[in-house]
Amino acid sequence: MQSESARMASAAEARFRIDAPNSKPRAIKIISLDRPSDRVIKRLAEATWNHASFFTASAFAGAPQPGTNFSMTGWLSDVAGRTTDLVNEVDSADLVVMVATAGENASAAAIIGEACSVSRVNTTGLIIAGSGASDDALSKTLAQLRPWSLMLVIASSDEYIADMLTALRA
Amino acid sequence: MLRKEQNDLLTQTGPGTPMGNLFRRSWQPVLLAEELPENECPPVRVKILSERLLAFRDTQGRYGLIDEFCAHRGVSLWFGRNEESGLRCPYHGWKYDVTGQCIDVPSEPAESGYCQKIKLKSYPLIEKGGVLWAYLGPPDKRPPEPVWEFATVPEKHRFVSKRVQESNWLQAMEGGIDSSHVSFLHRGDLHNDPLFKGAKGNQYNLGDSRPVFEVVESAGGLYIGARRNAENGHYYWRITPWVMPAFTMIAPRGNHSVHGHFWVPIDDDTCWAWSFDYHPIRELTDAEVSAMRNGKGIHVTYVPGSYRPSANKDNDYLMDRKAQKEGRYYSGIAGIAMQDASLQESMGPVVDRTKENLVSTDNGIIMARHRLMRAAKALADKDVTPPGIDPEHQKVRSVAIVLPADVPYKEGAKEALIAKPGVAPASV
Repeated sequence: MQSESARMASAAEARFRIDAPNSKPRAIKIISLDRPSDRVIKRLAEATWNHASFFTASAFAGAPQPGTNFSMTGWLSDVAGRTTDLVNEVDSADLVVMVATAGENASAAAIIGEACSVSRVNTTGLIIAGSGASDDALSKTLAQLRPWSLMLVIASSDEYIADMLTALRA
Repeated sequence: MLRKEQNDLLTQTGPGTPMGNLFRRSWQPVLLAEELPENECPPVRVKILSERLLAFRDTQGRYGLIDEFCAHRGVSLWFGRNEESGLRCPYHGWKYDVTGQCIDVPSEPAESGYCQKIKLKSYPLIEKGGVLWAYLGPPDKRPPEPVWEFATVPEKHRFVSKRVQESNWLQAMEGGIDSSHVSFLHRGDLHNDPLFKGAKGNQYNLGDSRPVFEVVESAGGLYIGARRNAENGHYYWRITPWVMPAFTMIAPRGNHSVHGHFWVPIDDDTCWAWSFDYHPIRELTDAEVSAMRNGKGIHVTYVPGSYRPSANKDNDYLMDRKAQKEGRYYSGIAGIAMQDASLQESMGPVVDRTKENLVSTDNGIIMARHRLMRAAKALADKDVTPPGIDPEHQKVRSVAIVLPADVPYKEGAKEALIAKPGVAPASV
């Protein structure tokens, strides 16, 4: 007689698997950190996504200086250029993906990462490092993203982002 | 998740399929050399990439890998007589050489030349590192011979085994690059397995069950780095290389041997899990080899006379609920290999990836699928040679290393990730 494991792992038994949704949608916020990444994000945003929304933080030039007034509302934009509040966006996210280009300034990662840390939202950092990117350029961007990314991906081309978002049911 | 057509593309490897074509561009391990131990030994059936073949070693020691069935009436040549530089069908005596060329049709006059008109499909079969490798692709695209380090070290430095896995190759291979499951499924073995225990790196593993992952593309595939906290602002990195399409390595532990796998499709529902252990600079000890033969580390024990694991789905993998409860085996299954295989086989022969819910720590798997799909398309559309075929792509090593926190591992472990003869592996 076949064991239960043998019988249940068969292709014939697969047709009795429950055919019902097994997850609720997760909100994924994708934020570009620099100008080249802005272009990638804007192009991606033109596709149809169910649970992904796209933003840019490239206007942010650096970490706020001590003693200066800093507002979370002024520098995060959606792809249409409307400013939006970082904390609100992070609060309503299940996952925040930060997209940077090797060699570019990714200092906005610290602010976004901090907001995600406070709200206990998972972060993924994604660095696009084309074949022309030097080790130094990559290291610089990596150093800015690493402290704030619970998962870090260094991809050779931006084609990966769409596949990743599809895989994550965005 | 994958769309159905993507899942089909990645999991189907028969003749004429995009992934099948990709596999067919590189040398695949098909038999242990011990399976054809001497000239004129019995032939062995080989099923690979959904093709039924027969391997034999003729009177002069030449290896052949030919269509399993006689061109006359379709008899399996496994029943054949391996004699006088060829394999003779016992039904009517038709005889074939190692290239599949028919060299005798007894019922036809020799001077008729009829046998010259009969030729079975055949593929090159070579021995390297105790493994017989086959190339099933276009003859004009035949790549250089494989140079994986385990196959190039002296014989006493390595141990190679294989086992049948009753699942599609992709769900087996994805286990090989899924570093996040180790802290759960295999945690008991870091204490107990003689091929793992005692390494300092184990303390980092067990002290931090929430590693942070970094996935980096390489020329041949990927590096997947798992980072855990070490002392004095340093990180302990375990770096897993994946070389396309189906080679993975596991980061080493202490002075134990280095190990890894090939995941080779038999057909779309089963695959061979090849497992190798080796040490670049020393012979394996008798105790290590004995442990490997006894199913420790990444190896298994077998149903006698086969390469089927003795713990298999027909005996519920010898599930031990008491050991599960006590934490000796996290899943209740003994042995690293069968801990993985039991769960992967439970998914069914080909898991329906339209239903899965991947999370960000699955980016290694997502990236591997992305690269496979891209390479299969490039091969189909533009005949672009897939990654992993260039010998330089094969000269990789897994690494366990402690690095300063601000150093990218691909930079900090740059030299350690390259296989160099006579150089010790980077291991903690």
